[in-house]
Amino acid sequence: MINRISFDRVLKKVEKPARYIGMEKNSIKKDLSKVDIKFAFAFPDVYEVGMSHLGLHILYNLLNNEDYIACERVFAPWIDMEEEMKREGIPLFTLENKEPINNFDFLGFTLQYEMSYTNIINMLDLGNVPIFSKDRKEEDPLVIAGGPCAYNPEPIADFIDFFVIGEGEEVVLEIMKIYREFKLKGYKRDEFLKEVSKIEGVYVPKFYEVYYKEDNTIERMEPEIDGIPRVINKRIIKDIDNSYYPDKIIVPFIETVHDRIPLEIFRGCTRGCRFCQAGMIYRPVREKKVETLLELAEKLVNNTGYADISLTSLSSCDYSQLQFLISKLINKYGEKQIGVSLPSLRLDSFSIDILKEIEKVRKTGLTFAPEAGSQRLRDVINKGVTEKDLETAVTYAFEEGWSTIKLYFMIGLPTETEEDLLGIRDLGYKVKNIFFNFPKDKRKGNLKITLSASCFVPKPFTPFQWVGQNSLEEFNEKINLLRNEIRDRKITFNYHDPKLSYLEAVLARGDRRLSKVIARAWELGCKFDGWSEIFDYNKWMKAFKETGICADFYALRERKYDEVLPWDFINIGVDKSFLYSEYKKATKGIPTKDCREGCNNCGINRSFIGGVC
Amino acid sequence: MLMNLRIKFTKKGYLKYISHLDTMRLFQRAFRRGNIPIKYSQGFNPQPKMSIANPLALGIESEEEFMDIELLKKISEQEFIEIINNQLPDGIKILDAKYVNDDKSLPSTVRWSYYEINVKTKNMMDKNLLEEKINEWLNKKEIMFERRRYKKGKEIKDVKNIRPLIGNISLVKDNKNINDDAKYIIRIRCLLKSGDNGSLKPTDFLEALDSYLSLNMEIEMADIKRLNIFTEVDGKIQSPM
Repeated sequence: MINRISFDRVLKKVEKPARYIGMEKNSIKKDLSKVDIKFAFAFPDVYEVGMSHLGLHILYNLLNNEDYIACERVFAPWIDMEEEMKREGIPLFTLENKEPINNFDFLGFTLQYEMSYTNIINMLDLGNVPIFSKDRKEEDPLVIAGGPCAYNPEPIADFIDFFVIGEGEEVVLEIMKIYREFKLKGYKRDEFLKEVSKIEGVYVPKFYEVYYKEDNTIERMEPEIDGIPRVINKRIIKDIDNSYYPDKIIVPFIETVHDRIPLEIFRGCTRGCRFCQAGMIYRPVREKKVETLLELAEKLVNNTGYADISLTSLSSCDYSQLQFLISKLINKYGEKQIGVSLPSLRLDSFSIDILKEIEKVRKTGLTFAPEAGSQRLRDVINKGVTEKDLETAVTYAFEEGWSTIKLYFMIGLPTETEEDLLGIRDLGYKVKNIFFNFPKDKRKGNLKITLSASCFVPKPFTPFQWVGQNSLEEFNEKINLLRNEIRDRKITFNYHDPKLSYLEAVLARGDRRLSKVIARAWELGCKFDGWSEIFDYNKWMKAFKETGICADFYALRERKYDEVLPWDFINIGVDKSFLYSEYKKATKGIPTKDCREGCNNCGINRSFIGGVC
Repeated sequence: MLMNLRIKFTKKGYLKYISHLDTMRLFQRAFRRGNIPIKYSQGFNPQPKMSIANPLALGIESEEEFMDIELLKKISEQEFIEIINNQLPDGIKILDAKYVNDDKSLPSTVRWSYYEINVKTKNMMDKNLLEEKINEWLNKKEIMFERRRYKKGKEIKDVKNIRPLIGNISLVKDNKNINDDAKYIIRIRCLLKSGDNGSLKPTDFLEALDSYLSLNMEIEMADIKRLNIFTEVDGKIQSPM
C-alpha cells in the first residue's frame, strides 16, 4: 500500500481529488493477501473517461466474481496528479487497495483509441514496470491488452506481453485458470506465455518475427516457435443472451462522461458503413432477449440508483424488439423518474417514433450523423440515409420543440469532391430554412445548428483500409473552404485538428516498427495525446525524425490489394476479399444492402457461427 | 403534514474530497436504491425535493451536516436511517433524522459554522502570548481583508471588513505544539459566519489571522473540520435539530 500521509498531502493539492480515492458504491475491495491472482484493470485515460466504458464494468465484475481473483482499477493520473505523485515518491496505484501496480500479477490495458498509447507507457513507468516487454523480469506483472485497437496490435507490440483479440468475457477466465495452475506448480514467465499463446484469441508478439521488403512493406510474418497459430482468430461470445453481464456496476462519486446504466442490447451491426471499423470487427449481430434485459435492468436500477437507462449497442435502433423493450421499460420506471435513452439515432421515420416515446421529458440537443454532404458520397461510404430522411427528422424535431441540432460529417472521404464538401454547407442551410419556414408562432426556441467535421481516418478491417489519408494541406484547404462558405449566425462550423487525425491514421495502420517512435515520443513528453490542449504535434514529428521512420508511409500511402497488411494475421471472420469488393463498389458509388435484408457474404457466418447470422 | 424530514449526517475521511453537487447526487442515488418515497418538483425537469443546509467546500470534513428532504409518504425515522446508512459509503453516515415543521427553508436560516482547524506553522510563540495576540486581533474595530473570487474565469478582488464575520476563536486546550520537521501545529476552533447573510471561508480566515500573527501557516495543507452548524430563528441561535 502506498504511504497514506503522502497521499493525503497530494490529494489536497490536485484538481478533482475524488478521481483517486476509490470507495464508490459497488466497488470491490478484497484482501489482496487472500487471493491467488491480482489483476489491475488499467484504463489509459482519466477516471471520468474510463468509468464510462462498459467493458471495464463487465470485466471488473466478471473477474471479481471469482473468489481467487481480485480485480482493481487504475487510471491515468492527470498531469497535476502525476507531478505531485512524483514529488512525493508515490508509485502508480490501484483505487481499491491503493496498492502499487507492480505488485499485481496482471496489468490489463484496454485499447479504446490509438491516441492513448503514450499513456500506457507513462502508466507503466509511473508504476515502476519496465516499459518494454523484453526488459521485464520474472517478478514483473504480465502486461496484457485488449479492446478495439488490439485488432491491429502491432504498433505497441514491443510494450505488451500478450494481446487478447476479440470479446474478452470467456477468454480472460481461461487465461486466469492457466495462470493459477502455473502459480501452483511453479510459474515461469516464458513457459506461461508459450502456454497461453495456444489459446484461441491470444497473441504473444515476441513469438512472431516480421520480415520486410526493400520498399518497407511487409514480406511475411512467421511464428518463431512451434505449436503456435499462424493466424489469430478473434474471440466472440456465441450465446450473448446467456453470457455474463454485471447486475451491479460501480457508481462514481464525481460526474463522468456517462452517468447512467449501460444496458447492452446487442453486439455487432448489419449496416455495413464502409468507414466503420466497429461495424466489421464486432460481427455477427447477436441480440439479448427482452426478458433478459428487463431482468438486468431491474437489478441494475436497484443496485445503482441511476436515473437513466441507456440502451447501448452500435446502431441501437436496429434492435428487433426495440419498441416493445422501450415501452416495457417506460411503463415500469417512468413513475420513478427513471428515463430511457439511446446513444445514437438514425434519421429514419422509425427512429422518430422511438424518439417520441422516450423524449417525453427532456429536450436537450439532437444529434444526427449524415457523415457526408452529398447523396453520392453517402452511397460511397454506404451510409444509407437520404436528404429526405434528414428533412423529415428535423421537421419533426422542430415541431416537437427542439431548436438545437448537431450534424456530424467526415471530410477527406475517398472520392470526395468540392461539390460533396459544399453539400455539408447546403445541408446546414437546408435545416435552417426548414426552421424558418414554420410560421413564426410555431417556432420554438432559438435555432442553433452545429455542423461538425472530423477528418477521415482509414482504419484496419474496413473497406477503406487500403486508402491513403488526405494530407494535412488537403485537410486544411477543405476546412478553409467550408469556413469561408459557412457564414451564418445560426450555423456554427466545428472541425477536428487534422494533425491529430493524421497521427491517428499512422498509429491505426502502423506496424511494429512504430513501437520505437511511440517510446521516443513518450520520452519527449507526449501523453494524453487525445486531449487537444495537451497534444504536441511537434514532439511527435521530432520522434519520427529521430527514429528515422516516415509517418507519411503509414498515413498517406494507398496500399495495393496484394500488400501484406500488418494486421493480416488476425482473422475477424470477415473476408479480406469481401472488404476489397466493398472498396471497389465504394469507388463506383454502389451501395450494399443491410445484412438484415439478405446475406452479403462477408464470411462471418462461415468462419464463426456456421449458419445464418 | 410532517413530511419534511431533517437529516443530520457526517462527511469524513476521503469523502471530504467530493463536492457539494457530488454529495447531492450521492444522496439522490442512495434514496433511489433505498426506495425512499421522495417528492419530485413539477415541470420540465423534475428534481427530487432536497436541500442541504450549507454547502461544504471541497477538502473540508464535517461532523454534522444537515439536509431536508420532502417525502410523499411518511416512514419511520429509525427505518429511514437504517435503510440509507446501508447505502452510504464509509465517511458519510446519517446520525439522526426528525420530521420538522419549519416554514422557512433550511439553507435560509443558517447563520454560523463552527470549525476545528489543525494547521502547521513555521514559526511559533508562547501559548499565552498567542492567545493574547488573538484577543488583540479580535478587539480591533475592523479587520480588513482582501478576498479573491473568480467569476467567469476573471479574478475579482474586494477588500472587506471581516470582523463581523468572526464569532469567536479559541486555542484548543490539549494543544501540544509538537516539533515536527521543525514545524509546529496549532489547533484552533472558530465560529465563522455561514449562509445567506454573509460568510467567511475558513481558509480566508486563516490567511487573515496569519497576516496578523505571522506564524507562516501552511494554509493549503490545513486540516479543517466543521463541528457544528447554527441557525438563527427569531433571534435565537440554535442547532437546526
